[in-house]
Amino acid sequence: MYGVSQNIKNTANIILKILVVAIFAFPFLWVISVSLQTDAEVNTFPATIIPKTPQFNNYVRAWQAGPFLTYFKNSVVIIVAIITIQMLIMIPAAYAFAMYDFKLKNILFSLVLIAFMVPTQVTFVPVYLMMGEWGLLRTLWPQILPFMTNAFGIFLLRQYFMQVPEELIEAARLDNASELKIVYKLMIPMAKPALATIILFSFVSHWNEYFWPLIMTNTTDVRPLTVGIAALKSTEGFVNWNTIMAGNMFLIAPILIVYVFCSRFIIKAFSYSGIK
Amino acid sequence: MAKIEFRNVTKAFDKNVVIKDLNLEIEDGSFTVLVGPSGCGKTTLLRMIAGIGPQTSGQVLIDGVDVSNVPPGKRKVAMVFQNYAIYPTMTVKENIEFGLKNNKVPKEQREKLINETASKVGLTEYLNRKPSQLSGGQRQRVALARAMVKNPSVFLMDEPLSNLDAKLRVQMRVELIELHNKLKTTFVYVTHDQVEAMSMADTIVLMNEGKIQQKASPEVMYKDPDNLFAARFIGSPPMNVCNLDHKGNKFGFRPERVDITDEYVNDTAFIMEGVVVTREMLGHETIYSVRNEEGITVTVKRLDDKWRMDQKVFVSVKDIKDIYFFGKDGQRIRENDNDYAYCINQLRGVKNEEN
Amino acid sequence: MRKIDKIKQYVFPYLLILPSMVGIGLFVVYPIIKVIILSFYSTNMINPAKTKYVGFENYIKMFNKVMFKKAMVNTSIYTLVMIVVVLALSLLLAVWLGQKSSRINYICQMAVFLPHIISIVSVALIFVQMMEPNFGLFNSILVALNLPTSRWLQSSDTALMSVLLVSIWKSVGYYTLIFIAALQSVPRDIYEAAELDNAGKFKTFYKITLPMISPQIFFVVIVLTIGSFKVIETIRLMTNGGPNNATTSLVFYIYREVFNNTDIGKGAAAGVVLMVIVGIMTVLYFSSLSKRVHYR
Ligand SMILES: Nc1ncnc2c1ncn2[C@@H]1O[C@H](COP(=O)(O)OP(=O)(O)O)[C@@H](O)[C@H]1O
Ligand SMILES: [Mg+2]
Repeated sequence: MYGVSQNIKNTANIILKILVVAIFAFPFLWVISVSLQTDAEVNTFPATIIPKTPQFNNYVRAWQAGPFLTYFKNSVVIIVAIITIQMLIMIPAAYAFAMYDFKLKNILFSLVLIAFMVPTQVTFVPVYLMMGEWGLLRTLWPQILPFMTNAFGIFLLRQYFMQVPEELIEAARLDNASELKIVYKLMIPMAKPALATIILFSFVSHWNEYFWPLIMTNTTDVRPLTVGIAALKSTEGFVNWNTIMAGNMFLIAPILIVYVFCSRFIIKAFSYSGIK
Repeated sequence: MAKIEFRNVTKAFDKNVVIKDLNLEIEDGSFTVLVGPSGCGKTTLLRMIAGIGPQTSGQVLIDGVDVSNVPPGKRKVAMVFQNYAIYPTMTVKENIEFGLKNNKVPKEQREKLINETASKVGLTEYLNRKPSQLSGGQRQRVALARAMVKNPSVFLMDEPLSNLDAKLRVQMRVELIELHNKLKTTFVYVTHDQVEAMSMADTIVLMNEGKIQQKASPEVMYKDPDNLFAARFIGSPPMNVCNLDHKGNKFGFRPERVDITDEYVNDTAFIMEGVVVTREMLGHETIYSVRNEEGITVTVKRLDDKWRMDQKVFVSVKDIKDIYFFGKDGQRIRENDNDYAYCINQLRGVKNEEN
Repeated sequence: MRKIDKIKQYVFPYLLILPSMVGIGLFVVYPIIKVIILSFYSTNMINPAKTKYVGFENYIKMFNKVMFKKAMVNTSIYTLVMIVVVLALSLLLAVWLGQKSSRINYICQMAVFLPHIISIVSVALIFVQMMEPNFGLFNSILVALNLPTSRWLQSSDTALMSVLLVSIWKSVGYYTLIFIAALQSVPRDIYEAAELDNAGKFKTFYKITLPMISPQIFFVVIVLTIGSFKVIETIRLMTNGGPNNATTSLVFYIYREVFNNTDIGKGAAAGVVLMVIVGIMTVLYFSSLSKRVHYR
């Protein structure tokens, strides 16, 4: 008797879990399905689940529906530039906050915390005006410069640096290592997990960023992929959903590929972003 | 090869003065052990030699040269840290190589030195491993190799064996002594364990609360302590200390110098009647505590184990030379001191009172 | 130490943090100050000479605007629903998927979390298509199940809830992961002790699990509140604030004032409102962080 009810419970549990997977993963399969449907299939009711003959041509259509090579290039340039600049600025700052005692340390560090909490939604109006004054709205800079200081990164990296045992640094000093060498031969390798997490978070948030580039770009030639894809909706109207979804795949695919290969690392990184 | 000197050295952390006006000379080529209870300033002293925790005032000299302005990497000293401080992100080889590279030693010479050192400490097979894949003993050897490979003129070691298990500790002790015999460089070794100090040192520097209590060879340290602290710190179990009078003078004797009998013995320097209250069998020897009616307890270390709990016995010290006297300031009162006669008289008084 | 070294020692840390401070100064501190200033001015973009100080006029006018009121109401509803539903769902999922580490549980976690790292642009497009009333997937399913269909995003009655559905779907996975990590950090032996004390499952959950993970719960509530108050992308992409302002949010209001009405003053005033809300949440969070020691 006990065995039977246990069995039913287990089966129900499995079915529920499959349902959960379906709810969260299905929409991504759905994009693929729609992206391969014919114009007629997209506009029939009830909806077509599986296209009869996959229309790979939709991807070509989507790619030609806008300057997608430019969008894609912009997205890549922006991401690479942001992450590079953030690293160059963050590492010395985190090192100083972790290793040195100086008068204004607490005040300056609380500024970092404030920067961490203040959302771009508060700052975008003045920054937009500023970028306009500087004549940068037709360049990629408004999408890069405002993110030069990664406050979260400074915070996390500082914690890692502080956890490096004092003895190790002293051992390196005794080994006649210069200050710079201590940083890149000892501290940075020891903070690798933190750096990987920071790069991951930066990548996910800036690759996906929509609001900021929407505001900060006046011309198509500086728009990133997200804005380009969103614009498909208006250029393709509400009819050619197959083209829109094919375009959508340009945006989803890179992240999805990274996720499939590094899901363990990604899940772990986000799991511990909560509280320390 | 180097001699180290401290001249009027003071070290303070913020307002907390840890070491005050310390003077010390560590002879060239000696195996000097700094020993003392935890927190007495041993590590602080060692770090001043290394230059990683410079003195607040005073001078530290290596080979007669004031090194106050010489950075740690240029002092020709090597240090083995208590927790080894092995670089976790580098392989064993890279760990050993790091200092050489920083000192711009050419590649071939580096390879040669690394291989020599690795074989000396038995790490040849482990050169390409990461520290996390090594046992405690092996890590210890990496730390040692990293120090040795630089061919320093001073070896500093901060409780290097305290993280090893008892057996390995004894083995490493022997190896370090052998290493010192081979290298003949100055070793400054820190420990809180007097057994380690006694077995390894040719000179012991005993410290307490930032002050040097005594600097002497292990034999002198044991046989002729300068003060109550040294007398109690060296030797296990520690020396028995009793009040000599009501003015604060004291006398002491080592547990291994005490006889136990079931009858009163004549012609002793000290004798006391009491009962056995504890008895610890350690195998080859037995440690007893004997307590008299006034509550004075004497610890006795004997090779025989025939005395039982609650048995009524006499404990005695035969030779007056085995009795040490200390003034109320804790300083030793020796035979040629003025108060010695007084002490002897007092001791007789104590003995008479006992009967 | 030599004098030159002392100077180096003194200046060096400041040099190291200088670039980061330039970034914070230009893009955080200055904009905060500027947004406050702007909120007291009537800014004329075309003719800056006509820009003038107007005191609290922007605020007064803004508070009287229907669209602003609607935005505040919508944002509050949005925030409340997000907190309640996301908190409940993610806790439930975490307890369910996090107690044992099995393959199926891991796959579930992977799936639940996936939407979090996909761009809102992609997600919004997918859902707009699925919610299409005439040939969308959702209504197709409802018809197949013999259920009444809905206008989803195209009716002012259902638009906000439809947007919420997407927001919940997108974010619940992240909080689930945080709670799973939190649950795993509760020492096993506490549960064993509770079991020995014959505590039931629910009692254990209320009396032990919830208090033990209360710091994370608090963190999630704060993050959800801040995140909900600054919502804009989902709305801009899915409904553009409509129909009939049914989904206008606080930030969407700012966006409208600045970019459609070029009324920077009111936009800035609304920005200050957002800043105050975020500020309160931040202070609450950090003051709880400093108090939160007693359980650990
Ligand atoms: N970095 C430091 N800051 C403040 N006080 C310290 C520091 N290092 C050591 N001390 C203090 O100096 C004293 C001696 O410490 P230490 O030399 O480490 O002792 P030992 O090595 O003999 O155990 C201790 O009281 C300790 O608290
Ligand atoms: Mg120490």
